[in-house]
Amino acid sequence: MRKVSTGQFIAGVTVLLLLIVFPFFVHHPIHLHVVILVLMFGMLGTAWNIIGGYAGMYSFGQVAFFGLGAYTSSYLSVNFGLNPWIGLLAGGCVAAAVAAAIGYPCSNLRGHYFSIATIAFAEIVRIVFNNWKRVGAAEGLTLPMDKPSFSHFLFNDSKQPYYYIILAFFLISLVVCYFVATSKMGYYFRAIKESHRVAEVMGVNVVLYRLIAVMISAFLCAMAGTFYAQYVLYIDPDSVMLLPFSVQIVLISMLGGAGSILGPAIGAAILIPASEYTRIALGAKGNGVDMLVYGFLIVVISMFYPEGVWSLISRIGRKKTRTSLHAADKAEAASAQR
Amino acid sequence: MASKDSVKILSVALLLLLVMVLSVSSMAQDKVIKIGAVYPLTGNIASTGLDNKTGVDLAVDIINGKYDLDLPMARTMGLPNMGGAKIQIVYADSKGDPRNGMSEAERLVTSEHVVAMIGAYQSAVTKTASQATERLRIPYVCSDSSSPTLTERNFKYFYRVSPHDDIFAKDPFLFLKDLEKKTGQKIQTVGILYENTEFGSQAGKAYKKYAAEMGYTVVADISYTANATDVSSEVGKLIVAKPDVLLHASYITDAILFTKTFKEKGFQPKGILTMAGYIEPAYLPAVKADGNYIMVRSTFALDLAKSKPLVAKVNELYKKKYGHDMSENAARSFMAPFVLADAINRAKSTDPEAIIKALNETNIPGNQVIYPWQGIKFDPTTHQNIYARGTLVQVLNQSYATVWPFEFASQQFVWPLPDWKNRK
Amino acid sequence: MSGQLLQQLVDGVLIGLVYSLVAIGLTLIWGVMNIVNFAHGDFLMVGMFASFWLYTLFHIDPLFSIPICFFGMFLLGMGIYRFIVRKVMKGPLLAQMVVTFGMSIFICNLAVYLWTPDFRLLPPTILQGTWQFRGIYFSIPKVVASAGSVIASGCVLLFLKKTNMGRAILATEMDRDAAVLMGINTDRINGLSFGIGAALVGVAGAFLSTYYYIYPQVGGLFGTIAFCVVALGGFGSVEGALIAGIFVGLAQTLGGFFFDPAYKYAIVFSIYLITIWIKPKGLLGW
Repeated sequence: MRKVSTGQFIAGVTVLLLLIVFPFFVHHPIHLHVVILVLMFGMLGTAWNIIGGYAGMYSFGQVAFFGLGAYTSSYLSVNFGLNPWIGLLAGGCVAAAVAAAIGYPCSNLRGHYFSIATIAFAEIVRIVFNNWKRVGAAEGLTLPMDKPSFSHFLFNDSKQPYYYIILAFFLISLVVCYFVATSKMGYYFRAIKESHRVAEVMGVNVVLYRLIAVMISAFLCAMAGTFYAQYVLYIDPDSVMLLPFSVQIVLISMLGGAGSILGPAIGAAILIPASEYTRIALGAKGNGVDMLVYGFLIVVISMFYPEGVWSLISRIGRKKTRTSLHAADKAEAASAQR
Repeated sequence: MASKDSVKILSVALLLLLVMVLSVSSMAQDKVIKIGAVYPLTGNIASTGLDNKTGVDLAVDIINGKYDLDLPMARTMGLPNMGGAKIQIVYADSKGDPRNGMSEAERLVTSEHVVAMIGAYQSAVTKTASQATERLRIPYVCSDSSSPTLTERNFKYFYRVSPHDDIFAKDPFLFLKDLEKKTGQKIQTVGILYENTEFGSQAGKAYKKYAAEMGYTVVADISYTANATDVSSEVGKLIVAKPDVLLHASYITDAILFTKTFKEKGFQPKGILTMAGYIEPAYLPAVKADGNYIMVRSTFALDLAKSKPLVAKVNELYKKKYGHDMSENAARSFMAPFVLADAINRAKSTDPEAIIKALNETNIPGNQVIYPWQGIKFDPTTHQNIYARGTLVQVLNQSYATVWPFEFASQQFVWPLPDWKNRK
Repeated sequence: MSGQLLQQLVDGVLIGLVYSLVAIGLTLIWGVMNIVNFAHGDFLMVGMFASFWLYTLFHIDPLFSIPICFFGMFLLGMGIYRFIVRKVMKGPLLAQMVVTFGMSIFICNLAVYLWTPDFRLLPPTILQGTWQFRGIYFSIPKVVASAGSVIASGCVLLFLKKTNMGRAILATEMDRDAAVLMGINTDRINGLSFGIGAALVGVAGAFLSTYYYIYPQVGGLFGTIAFCVVALGGFGSVEGALIAGIFVGLAQTLGGFFFDPAYKYAIVFSIYLITIWIKPKGLLGW
């Protein structure tokens, strides 16, 4: 992949520094909350990007891994007093394992078939957790509020520590995505996305690499899930396993630009504040106007900026050299139809 | 290369800067006493949320205005001990999602500077919203969520005025015992049907507990998804189990669907005793005469006016403002503003610690509430109103009549359920 | 117990045929244009509301408003194709999926805005009540809806196989590029298919409104189940949608009756997943 130029490096560091000092200037919890959500969704979008943007598997079921992560760490914390940081890793492993288990039989599904299978999978997970008494069924799990501290991943008085943790997680996800994209694995992913058959003929073990992609993505989603659980201190199937959540993740990545490292982050930075602030401004009347605007935005973006904001920006001044999302998908769809 | 990426990065930076600038702007200060209210104003359950809102709005009218009613703060304009300061409710939409419950509660406290919270009807949302207020140390008075777990947390800042589902679950059994005494009929088996979210599963648990305690056999224990497309399997299982009595905890959509399916399949227990969904304003207009003879738990019914004239007077005001009678939902949400107004007035301050001290001393007498209660007084540990109790109403001639406890009854109950085929 | 078993079988077929009718429109759109219409459930909702308002405002019985719903939804479908979908089809697959999600959110909340979130139920119409036959209860509105579904499927199949326009649609489904070479105006076929798809689900909505409650979010579960039916039956296959619909309906009622009603949709989705693993193109797919 390209080497980073000086200009890029300085710009990148500036943004990073801004992100780091942000909580010192902004104390208002509502704005901190919005940026925390932006970072969390940025992380989720990046995780999705690994399988969607790079490997061409459009999953609408990532919320299931988010929920699995949240539930694993919370269940272990509530019932066994396990430290949430360890629970974090446990949640990631559970999600990765489930991802592998479901990913294997789905590995020869492509395009729409794959997407709908992910929807079915996510719904099954949600229904199971909604009825499984041991994990609280519909009532969910309430995490204890006592003993706030870093080692317990719990802070009551301020959102700042949460902010830094999610910032760190977000950066980790970016790094992972970068490595996936620039490594040989990333090269194989793009080959798979371009055409399954060609990749197979070239000797790429399609099944294996799809599984790896799915597992990595699931692990990251689960990390975000644990973070969420520790942030809100209450989870139930409807808050961490609901389908619209997955759709939002896909939307963010598409809006920002799937297939580019920072695309989902940009998408999150635009979409999340838009939906939060429109709800605050318009939501209280109860007439659905904020969602009307949201739905309208989605349609407009899909129609006129389908390659995402990222490609829009990148078109300024130079023509695209990387293979567009578009051509790859057309080939994919055509081969899937046969 | 450099220009393209820098543009991108710079735009993100600009966005962040914008948010920073926005946060610096100060919020307007008001002279009223602001109370936050989170309700599902959009989403699946919005018709209920908007109904709750009507009760709250009427309460605020009464508090802020001058009315000849036996309600706290009614006869004065605003709160006398606070210089006549008026109550202002700041609403937020939970959209039926507990996540929004938390964030909206936080926003109401930190942005809008509300001094207390009410709401949020759905127990799952009240749970997260009150967790937020507990962390922020702001009082929360709830009069419309019924999950027992809300007051099992022993929170310091959370209070509940209305009865919870454990109380509501025991009532039908107490009624059955009274029924057996009065008519000599023996009831042996019960079927328990409940939707599978927080509300329904708690109710189901409580039903099972009391059935065992009071000696009834549970022959069917069915949990289901509230928004099902079809409930043939569930009703099929009930028909096979043949319970004497059916206990059903549902929301509005399932209440409608089950009623239709019961009729369609001729499901004929001796009685159907239910919670929540069947007393929603949308239920009877939807099912019309098919809803007759079903019993529902309630805290409020219009016919309570016979023993409590205050009920009729309040309903009159409600009708004048909204053009239809007050529903049970609206009636439940109606009380919380009064409890807070009373406490803030006694505390002579909006400081949270002063408010909860006053709440702990709350002792509103029975003649100042529109429910069949002895009054409002909170248990020192759980903060549940110790006088909260429910009644049973039965749908007779497509309207709700209180039938139990017998001392509040306005009509005699009808038992057993008349045959579906023989009804007019 | 065996009496109940028979009853559950009957109920399964009845609800299944309704699913089929919803799915036929979806499978047509999918087969011809390779577009997954995530707003399909919301089209159902529009059909239900159309039937409701026609009855409430003009006292037209839902059975008679079916032709009106058909044509109204047909025009709506073609309009949506012409102005939104056609543009998106030139873009990436992801955008095509996402745009229908956006449409779904928009349509659903437009309904909330225009008609409030309240639940509405039509009073009993011309065909109402229950029919008892050998101890099995048949709900007449449901039977009519199911009969309507079978008739509609038959009509669609006839149309597809016997008319020139229909055969053009089939050709486009089978091989788009070849169809273009044969001189078929695929753009017109697309619009037609989208219109017919919307019309069919609108009719399903009209039938459903005779016994189910109507509210803006009603499309959600029906829509998700319709996807499973389509995928199970095979994308583009009308016969497949019919059979798969019955299959799913039976899975739902029998699964709910013999196991746990709370898990009945999980059972439906699981059967879908298992079928799709074994036969990725569905039971009768292309």
